[in-house]
Amino acid sequence: MLKKRLIFTLLYSQGQFTLSRNFRLQKVGNLKWLQTNYGFSYISFFIDELIVLDVTRGERDVQAFQDTLKSLTEGCFVPIAAGGGVRTVEHARALLRSGADKVVINTPLYDDANFVHALASEFGQQCVVASMDIKRLPDGAYRPCSDRGAICDAGSAAQWIERIAGYPIGELYLNSIERDGTGQGYDMKLLDLLPAGMPKPVILAGGVGNSTHLAEGLADARVDAVATAHLFNFIGDGLKKARQSVTAGGIDLPVWNVQQIAQRFQAGGA
Amino acid sequence: MKGNTKDLHWCTSCLTMSTRPRITFDEGGRCNACVWAEKKKTLDWGARQKELERLLDKHRLEDGRVDCLVPVSGGKDGSYVAYNLKHKYGMNPLAVTVTPALSLELGDRNLRAFVESGYNHISINPAHKAMQALNKVGFIEMGFPYYGWLIAIHTAVARAAVGFGIGLVFYGEDGEVEYGGSTETSKNPIYDVAYQKKVYLEGGHEKVLAASGLSEADLYFFRFPGEDELHGRRIELTHWSYFENWDPYRNYLVAKEHCGMMEAEDSNAGTFTNFSQNDQALYALHTYLMYLKFGFGRANQDACIEVRRGAMDRAQAVNLVRLYDGHYPEEFIELYLEYYQMTRAEFDAVLDRYVDRDLFEKVDGRWTPKFIVT
Amino acid sequence: MTRSAITIIDYGMGNIWSVLSALRYLKANATVSGDPREIATAQALLLPGVGSFRKAMTALREKQLDQAILEAVQSNGAKILGICLGMQLMGSRGSEDGNTSGLGLVPNPVDIFTAQETEGNKIPHIGFDVVRSAPESRLFRGLPQEADFYFVHSYRMLPGGLPGIAATCRYGVEFLAAYEQGNIFATQFHPEKSQTNGLVLLKNFLGQ
Repeated sequence: MLKKRLIFTLLYSQGQFTLSRNFRLQKVGNLKWLQTNYGFSYISFFIDELIVLDVTRGERDVQAFQDTLKSLTEGCFVPIAAGGGVRTVEHARALLRSGADKVVINTPLYDDANFVHALASEFGQQCVVASMDIKRLPDGAYRPCSDRGAICDAGSAAQWIERIAGYPIGELYLNSIERDGTGQGYDMKLLDLLPAGMPKPVILAGGVGNSTHLAEGLADARVDAVATAHLFNFIGDGLKKARQSVTAGGIDLPVWNVQQIAQRFQAGGA
Repeated sequence: MKGNTKDLHWCTSCLTMSTRPRITFDEGGRCNACVWAEKKKTLDWGARQKELERLLDKHRLEDGRVDCLVPVSGGKDGSYVAYNLKHKYGMNPLAVTVTPALSLELGDRNLRAFVESGYNHISINPAHKAMQALNKVGFIEMGFPYYGWLIAIHTAVARAAVGFGIGLVFYGEDGEVEYGGSTETSKNPIYDVAYQKKVYLEGGHEKVLAASGLSEADLYFFRFPGEDELHGRRIELTHWSYFENWDPYRNYLVAKEHCGMMEAEDSNAGTFTNFSQNDQALYALHTYLMYLKFGFGRANQDACIEVRRGAMDRAQAVNLVRLYDGHYPEEFIELYLEYYQMTRAEFDAVLDRYVDRDLFEKVDGRWTPKFIVT
Repeated sequence: MTRSAITIIDYGMGNIWSVLSALRYLKANATVSGDPREIATAQALLLPGVGSFRKAMTALREKQLDQAILEAVQSNGAKILGICLGMQLMGSRGSEDGNTSGLGLVPNPVDIFTAQETEGNKIPHIGFDVVRSAPESRLFRGLPQEADFYFVHSYRMLPGGLPGIAATCRYGVEFLAAYEQGNIFATQFHPEKSQTNGLVLLKNFLGQ
């Protein structure tokens, strides 16, 4: 029985990891901060997947991101997806050689479908995560947006999702712009935009503040994985407790025995 | 592992500390702010809304004259109130800013954006020398680094109300009610100058003015208008938070959307948020002193707000507060010393006066907590 | 105690970094090589892989790594662990993009999951799934008999007739999750992506 997943998303911008609120970024700390104050190596044992996105506005230093990715992923033994401004096969390849297992793409979904095919052809479709940022208009209609939420398409989100689900992608990452960073919980109505018999796994994102929100997402049959990018709310033992709480509530997440790490490997190996 | 001293405890629901002045706890250990937050969920806000409408109907002028006054800084709370008064209730608010000392660039930009989003607005700049002197006296004698400004946001606002013939002033939130303290105004929405003096200026402001040696001319904006100036008119002072469920995060979303408010790029000093209190550098010192006096600072306050609005649970808040609270405002020190005309040693000596030594001990020159937030 | 020496085969496909990182975490003396000589003479090999079977076999052949691997494993008795596509390449043949023959270190072929056999479940099989291991398995020593591991694949090997079944997984159909026979080991899942369970398994392989 396939387990559901708890995913942590790290948002990177110009050397800093950030918190996003409705796509406005707040710098929190750099890689060193993440490792020392945040205890990321410890926290990473309580997640099932890591997504790292370069959300830099303006020009990106791709090499710096790759170096950071490489450092970050050392000691992180879960699937890792990376993205942000990926438009060429070479860029994707560079990310895959820096520790990523999958590449996240967003804007090309709307303006360069050929690229999606090229990625799938080169690396396999399971390597491709389609990320969609969805905006909710005042009248309740949903629109997909690209370019870090700056450009919203006039077409309906539901139609785009159906089309993109038919592309050679591995999974769909569905993010709410309204809920992003608010701690108000997921916009569960996003799931109504999915076509019946959605052929690809769905990762729900945008709005998590605490473990109740995570549990709510995971309890829905249409959701295969939940993601949070809330850098503040899960520091210390926050993520560990959230995972325990979600599992205690009956959700089937993978079972990890973190004690084994401390005992068998840190003590000099045997 | 440090033990906690002095019968120290935290609200069982948020992280408000037992050291907070005028705080009370119920049998379950919950502070009055949390009890109030719970009550607010089932309060008859419809009735309060009607009270608001009646109050506004009494003051509304539809002839283009300003009919109510909103103190604003360009930040989320004042902007939210002004926005509602104008767009939801058809009032013609006069937005009033009392310029703080050491204003921050982001604050200035936010104020400009607010004004340009469409409001009648004035800035009052009380006599600079007096503001500086009163801030300094407040810092040294009371541990209130912007005491002059705290006075002026009441007195100068009242003067503005008189000057423009406005009888209704809306402050945003009643800090005592929302964050724990005196609950007198939770039932009586409209108060007067006497209450302001007692609670918001912690008594004693007239003594400070008298002892300042400043001329009456310089102190003009630091004095409430007298009876002879009021000419029998009454100024009704109230808090928006009485009439509508106060939600700082909601205010932020509205201010962002409609009044051009921007956040800081980094977390603000001593906390994990970036969207509040961006207008003046002395706020960081104010919250640091609060931390030294009572053991809780800006991160603690922000965390309590997050917990009460359901965005995080108490355990998550504990982690954040342990990491961020109690930040010595290193980045503003030069600015403070120049403003107060003090040396670093004199400055630190003032801080030392206000530290609760049951809560803190000096380690490597920095006051370090003896307690652990639990 | 000497650190285990292991060579990761680099043929241009696969997440070398993650595997290297995991082996180093386990304090193995891990190196990466694309040189046929080095691979032929290695004591222990790890064959990673992500992507197309056809492309991968072509790459291995062009770089003469296929011969090197067979020499190491069959002639010199080196132990080998194939992961994901790496396991599939060790099979007899793969049917992606038309039939391509594999290394033949594992007797069975690799074919795509069909909607029928997965009973309507989504393809590719992505995520953490329950792996049931044989009690006598060396790879799974110290792990619960049902343990979670990370899968990401559209193609699978069926266990039919294989002597070296170390573990299976059910995704509609029961497919081969891990194989061990003598010095030949393979896992369809990614141990380097399976948190603590994967680290234990890798440690077991290093200790063989």
